[in-house]
Amino acid sequence: MDIAKKTEGDRMIIAVTGRVDTTTAPELDAGLKLAGNETLTLDLSGVPYMSSAGLRCLLTAQKTMMAGGGSMTIVGVQAAVREVLDITGFSSILTLA
Amino acid sequence: MTFAGSKFRAFLPAATFAMAAEFLMGLSDSVICGHVVGETGLAAVNLMQGVFDIVNFVSLLVAIGASVLFSTEVGAFHLRRARGYFTLGLGMSVVMGLLMALVLALTRIPVLAAFGVAAEVHEAASAYWLWYLPAAVFQPIVFYLGTMCYADGDARLSMISYVVQIVGNCALSVPLTIVWGTAGCAMGTGLGAFVGICALLFHFRRPSCMLGFSRHFAFSDILGITRTSLGDASKSIAKAVLMFALNAYVIARFGSEALPVLAVVVMTIGVSEIFDGVGNAAQPLIGVYVGENNGLLTRRVMRMALRLSLFEGVGVMTLLLACPRLMLSLAGLDDPALVHEAIVAVRLVSAALLGLAIVLLFNSYYVFIRREGISTALTLLAILVMPFALFPVGGAFWGMRGVWGALGAAPLVALGVFAVYLLVRFGARRFPLLLDDARNGDSRVFDLVLEPDSVCAVSTKVEEHVRRHGVDVVRAAKAALLVEETLMVVRDRNAGRCVLAEVTVDLNGGGVTLVLRDDGEVFDITDSDAKISSLRSYLVSNLMGELPHRRNLTTTGFNRNVYRL
Repeated sequence: MDIAKKTEGDRMIIAVTGRVDTTTAPELDAGLKLAGNETLTLDLSGVPYMSSAGLRCLLTAQKTMMAGGGSMTIVGVQAAVREVLDITGFSSILTLA
Repeated sequence: MTFAGSKFRAFLPAATFAMAAEFLMGLSDSVICGHVVGETGLAAVNLMQGVFDIVNFVSLLVAIGASVLFSTEVGAFHLRRARGYFTLGLGMSVVMGLLMALVLALTRIPVLAAFGVAAEVHEAASAYWLWYLPAAVFQPIVFYLGTMCYADGDARLSMISYVVQIVGNCALSVPLTIVWGTAGCAMGTGLGAFVGICALLFHFRRPSCMLGFSRHFAFSDILGITRTSLGDASKSIAKAVLMFALNAYVIARFGSEALPVLAVVVMTIGVSEIFDGVGNAAQPLIGVYVGENNGLLTRRVMRMALRLSLFEGVGVMTLLLACPRLMLSLAGLDDPALVHEAIVAVRLVSAALLGLAIVLLFNSYYVFIRREGISTALTLLAILVMPFALFPVGGAFWGMRGVWGALGAAPLVALGVFAVYLLVRFGARRFPLLLDDARNGDSRVFDLVLEPDSVCAVSTKVEEHVRRHGVDVVRAAKAALLVEETLMVVRDRNAGRCVLAEVTVDLNGGGVTLVLRDDGEVFDITDSDAKISSLRSYLVSNLMGELPHRRNLTTTGFNRNVYRL
C-alpha cells in the first residue's frame, strides 16, 4: 500500500493506493495520525478493497479531526469499498464526496 | 500441516481402534477355544467363520446405510427425517437379528452334517452354534448402535463400547469355556454383546445426542438403507461364501486334520479388517467433500489414505513374513505336526494383506461417492471370485501350499484385473477415483494457519482467482472480504491457539461459492443476531444480514461455513 501526502494551504490531501486490510491498516492509521491539519481530504480512488481494519482507521481519523475542530472528506471511493461503507452504515457517518 | 491432513490424523486413531477391536472380537473366540479347548475347539470355531460373516453381513447391511443417510439428513438440517432413519435402522437391526437366529437354529444340523468333519469337531461346533444364537440377535443391534454413535460424533463412547465388549466377552468366555467348552465360549460372546448395548445407551443421556425416535416407515427407505450398505456389507457375505467353500474343500481334499492350519490362515487374512480403519477415518471428510462436489479435496484425502493403506499393508505383511509364529501363538497352535505347515501358510497368505489394504480402502471410497455397484464388484472380485477361481488351481498343482499361495495372490490379481476394467470403462483421466475433473476445473483450495499475514494473503489470492475467471470487481472484493473477516473472527475467538483453516473457492454453476472450514471453537458465524463485540464482528454480522445464501454446518466437530455470492 502507498500513501502520498500533499498540502494545499491548510488542507492536506492524502492519496491511498492498494488494499487496506488487516496487515496494511496500521500503515494507513499511522499516515492519518500525522495529518494534523484543519481539513483533510482522503483520496481512496486507488483503494479497490477495504476490510474492517481499514474502517477502523477511517473512524479514528474522523473522530480525531472533529475533536480538533477540523473535518475529513473522503473522495474517489470505488464501488467495492462503497458497498462496505453502505453495509456498515459508515457512508452516513463519514463525509463522502 | 493442512486442515484435511490434520482432521484425517485426528479421526484415524478412533477409526483404526474400532476396526482393531472388531478384529479382536472376531478373534477372541478362536483364541479362547484354541487355548482352553485345544485344536478341536479351534477347528470348531473356524467352522463357524461363515456364520460370523453372515451375522456381520446382516449387521453391516443396516448400520452402514442408516449411518450414511442419517449424517446426510443431519447435514441438510432434516433432523426429523434423520431420526426416522435411525428409528427404521434400529427396527431393522432387531428384526434382522431375530430372523438371523431363527435361520441359524434351523440350519445348524444340516450345515454341520454337510461339512462331514470328525465327530469331536462336529460336537464342539454344534454346541458352539446352538449357544451362539443369542449373540446372533445382539450382534446386529450392538453394531448398529455403535456405528450410529460414531456417526453422531461420539467416537469415544463407540470406542468404550468395543472395549467393554472385548473385556466383557473375554472375562465371561474364559470361565464359561473352562466349564462348558465351546458352548460356554458362545454364551460369553452373547453376554459381551449385551453388555456393549448397555454401554452404548449412555449416548442418549448426552446433551449433544442427535439420535432420537421418529415414527417412520417406507419401503423405499429400507431399500435406500440396504443399497447404501451393500458395498461394505458385501465384504462379509463374500467372506462367508468363501469360508464355507474353503472349509468344504480343505476337509474333502486334506481331511479335518488340516482345519487348524486353515484356522490360522483365516485369522491371518482377518488381520486385514484393521485396514478398514483408514477408509473409516477418511469417511467424515470425504463424505462432506463429495457432498460439495469438491474433487480437489476428495483427491487430496484419498492420496493420504492410499499412502497410509500401502504403509499399513506393507508393514503388516513384512511383520508376518518375519514373525509368522505370532499368528500361531494367537491361535494356540502348538501341535508339532502342524506348526511347520502353518508357518509356511502364514507367509504365503501374508501377501494378501497388501492387496486387501488397497481393496478395502477403495471399497469404502466407492461407497462414499455413491458408486455402490463398483464397490460391490471390487469386493466380490477380490474377496470371493478371484480366491474361488485360484485356490482349486493352486490346490490341484501344489497341494495345500498351492491353496495358501492362491489365497495370498488373489487380492493383488483382482486389483490388477479391476484396474484394467476401470481404465477401459472410464478412461485414464478418471482412473481410479472416477471424479469428474471438468467439474473442478475452476475451483481452488487454500490451506492456512490463521495468522493475519496468511489470512490477508489468502483473501488477496481469492480475489485474484475470481477476477481471473471474469467475476466483477464488487463481487470479487466481497468474496475476499468474507474470507478475511470470517477467518479473522475465528482467529480472535481462538486467541493463543493454532487454528488450521481451509478455503475452497468454487466458480462452477455461474456463481462464487466459498467454503471455509476451521478447527477452532465451534460457533455459528452466519448468525446475523450473534453478539457484536468489535467492529469486525459488526461488519461480519451486517455482511451475514446481506447474504441470502449462507450456511453454517458443524460437521463432526469442525466449523464449516458456506457462502454463495
